[in-house]
Amino acid sequence: MMKKAVEVILLLFLLVSMPHAKGTRYSPPGKPTLTRCRSPEKETFTCWWEPGSDGGLPTTHALYYRKENSETVYECPDYRTAGENSCFFNKNNTSIWVNYNITVVATNTLGSTFSDPMDIDVVYIVKPNPPERLAVTVKEDKSWPFLRVSWEPPHKADTRSGWITLMYEIRVKLEQENKWEMHLAGQQKMFNIFSLRSGGSYLVQVRCKPDHGFWSEWSSTSYIEVPDYFPREKSVWILITVFSAFIFVILFWLLHMNSHSLKHCILPPVPGPKIKGFDKQLLKNGKSEEIFSALMVPDFPPTTSSNFEDLLVEYLEVYIPEGQELTLQESKDLHDGCLKSEGSTSDSDSGRGSCDSHTLLIDNCGEAKEEERQQDQERMGMEAQRHQKDWEEKVLNYAHEDIVSPDMSSGRVKTWPSVFSPLPQYSSNPPDQQSSLEMAKQHYLSDSLFLPDSSSTYLTQPGHSTRESLEPSYCEFRLSNKQPHQLHPQMQASQQLHMTHSDVNISSIGCKQAPAGLQSPDLRSTQYVEVQKVNKEDMVLLQPVGKGCRHIELCPKMPQGDNYSKVKGVNSDNILLLQRGVMEEDRCPCEDQETNGAREHSHTASTVTTTQKPTACIHTAMPVQDEMVLAVNGYVDTAIMCTLPTY
Amino acid sequence: MNRVLLLLSVLSLGVSSQQITDSQRLFSIAVSRVQHLHLLAQRLFSDFESSLQTEEQRQLNKIFLQDFCNSDYIISPIDKHETQRSSVLKLLSISYRLVESWEFPSRSLSGGSAPRNQISPKLSELKMGILLLIRANQDAAEIFPDNSALQLAPYGNYYQSLSGEESLRRTYELLACFKKDMHKVETYLTVAKCRLSPEANCTL
Repeated sequence: MMKKAVEVILLLFLLVSMPHAKGTRYSPPGKPTLTRCRSPEKETFTCWWEPGSDGGLPTTHALYYRKENSETVYECPDYRTAGENSCFFNKNNTSIWVNYNITVVATNTLGSTFSDPMDIDVVYIVKPNPPERLAVTVKEDKSWPFLRVSWEPPHKADTRSGWITLMYEIRVKLEQENKWEMHLAGQQKMFNIFSLRSGGSYLVQVRCKPDHGFWSEWSSTSYIEVPDYFPREKSVWILITVFSAFIFVILFWLLHMNSHSLKHCILPPVPGPKIKGFDKQLLKNGKSEEIFSALMVPDFPPTTSSNFEDLLVEYLEVYIPEGQELTLQESKDLHDGCLKSEGSTSDSDSGRGSCDSHTLLIDNCGEAKEEERQQDQERMGMEAQRHQKDWEEKVLNYAHEDIVSPDMSSGRVKTWPSVFSPLPQYSSNPPDQQSSLEMAKQHYLSDSLFLPDSSSTYLTQPGHSTRESLEPSYCEFRLSNKQPHQLHPQMQASQQLHMTHSDVNISSIGCKQAPAGLQSPDLRSTQYVEVQKVNKEDMVLLQPVGKGCRHIELCPKMPQGDNYSKVKGVNSDNILLLQRGVMEEDRCPCEDQETNGAREHSHTASTVTTTQKPTACIHTAMPVQDEMVLAVNGYVDTAIMCTLPTY
Repeated sequence: MNRVLLLLSVLSLGVSSQQITDSQRLFSIAVSRVQHLHLLAQRLFSDFESSLQTEEQRQLNKIFLQDFCNSDYIISPIDKHETQRSSVLKLLSISYRLVESWEFPSRSLSGGSAPRNQISPKLSELKMGILLLIRANQDAAEIFPDNSALQLAPYGNYYQSLSGEESLRRTYELLACFKKDMHKVETYLTVAKCRLSPEANCTL
């Protein structure tokens, strides 16, 4: 019995203790916390709290508040309106500008826990509701659309009476973007948004805030689509771009065209020292020799000259007394080879012959140029001859060398045998003889192979040789292609002549100069004479030559008087017989070598015999006799141009 | 006679409209000034509160309820309903008294930053403006009894009599009360303005 009682007591005790043990797990509720209190319109407000741990037991919460300056504690009038763990203060319970001290108490069976009090003033906890009825429209402004956003304040907020003043804010963004564009709208309820993207889709939201309070939540999003207005401006932009590009191209082209002048305008070239031939590099090198050598002009002064003799002008005026003339004529040592030399007597003619350059020089060949040259040569030669008394000393100035420098090259020298340069004034028997002078224009066109070198040599040679040399000078064949025989001084004149003769295709005969007798030794000055007539004594009468036509070709006039230009023949006395005759144009008074006609070429034109030494009958190789123009004025020139048949 | 009455009414309307227009303008000015003062007070208070220690904050919270503002004796509507019921003139007078009550204590607020120095003169200007508004809206017939003015307790040295240890507390109270009163005036003036505005929809 006792045992049972104890067991029952123990069991009871256990049973009793067990609930107690459970209850130890319970605890008073945790401390709640007031999270926030908000007033949407400054007329009511709501407070929310966060309950703590409930301690395992059902707990209840209560909110008590106390107004300032009052010790009365009130409890929350409304726990439901605002939801769970909230307390709603309606208008009657809300006082503005009054400090509230609010406390939440959590209570369970074990106890209650007070939260920390919160002091609030309704004025400063206003957080309005978001604006309502947000409307966004697209307004057209001259093809530049904009958005017009309008809204309504939250219906609870009494802005009409001015109880609460709200400020609004709008935010806009494109649909695909992330960043919002904020716009503060102030207290107005309408707002315009510009600079829209054409064809874009926009999102618009608005919120409000009282002058002292918290921002409301964002309103519901409003979508709007902007129409495409850009294409219209795109075309305009394209036009503008094209036009400006065009203008740019033109400007660039103009600039390019005038770049040179512009460059000169903007950056004028700085004139630098420029001396022709002056090399700056040489200057920098510092070698003066090179510099100055660069300045030198080549070929000046001429260091090399082909023929010095070419430059030499040998001109000696030799005065030969009368007697000497004859002697000169004697020596008619004709070089064998020289046709002209036949008429060694022609020596007298050489140079001294009154080869009037201008009178003679009929170019059988018809070469005017050569004629001129020959004329010059003849003139020169004649002059030389006239004054030449001494053969040896006579230096035939064949400046023609110079003149015929081109010929020189070819080795041909045209010399003009002066036929009758110093012809004594003989009374001519005109018509007796047949020594009609051929047309004085027996022009010898002699392209002699007279070389400058040779000339000197000739001159130095004995008289006859020189004469001889001269002769060939006369009888030259222009056309003959002769080799340039450079007669060396050492060469014998004869050889030269020979050579010349041989080479030349001329039938040049010793165009002998005018017979020595004809040469007037008295003449000191150059005087050109012409044969007027031949007297009965077979004396050729000479007369000065007027300024007649020099060129036979030019004025093939008939002589005024008797023309004693025809050489009849040469008598045994070695006198050239002239006969009067008519000029024949094409007659080249071919004079035979007066003396023994070494070779007197048969002149096709006419044979001229002269009492004198055979005048220089220049026979040119040119068989162009026809061209032989006789002297105009009936004078016989030693420088007769005639073509003789070649031998 | 009827015509004369009509004419008079029209004239009065015109005059009142003119007055209303003038009052609106005055109200706008007064409201803007008050708003500025309120913002100033708010900034001062927040600066002060941020400078406090947490311990002091707790203490001040407790004190907050126990202390009184010097303007507590002025009875003013404390909710919207009461405010809506009050007449414009009453609102104006209350505003005037509130501003006047702070005219003297605001001098203790000054010192230091420039905005604090501007409080007192601004209050004086605001007072003048409200006075003008009162005179503009004061009907000849109705002369508001200025009994409330007599109710003003001498507050001259209310704050200055306190000792220095409580200066912190006093400053806190000063700033808090100042802020509250400014907001009150702002609200009252705004409501009065909106009530007098021709449009029913007072959007300010």
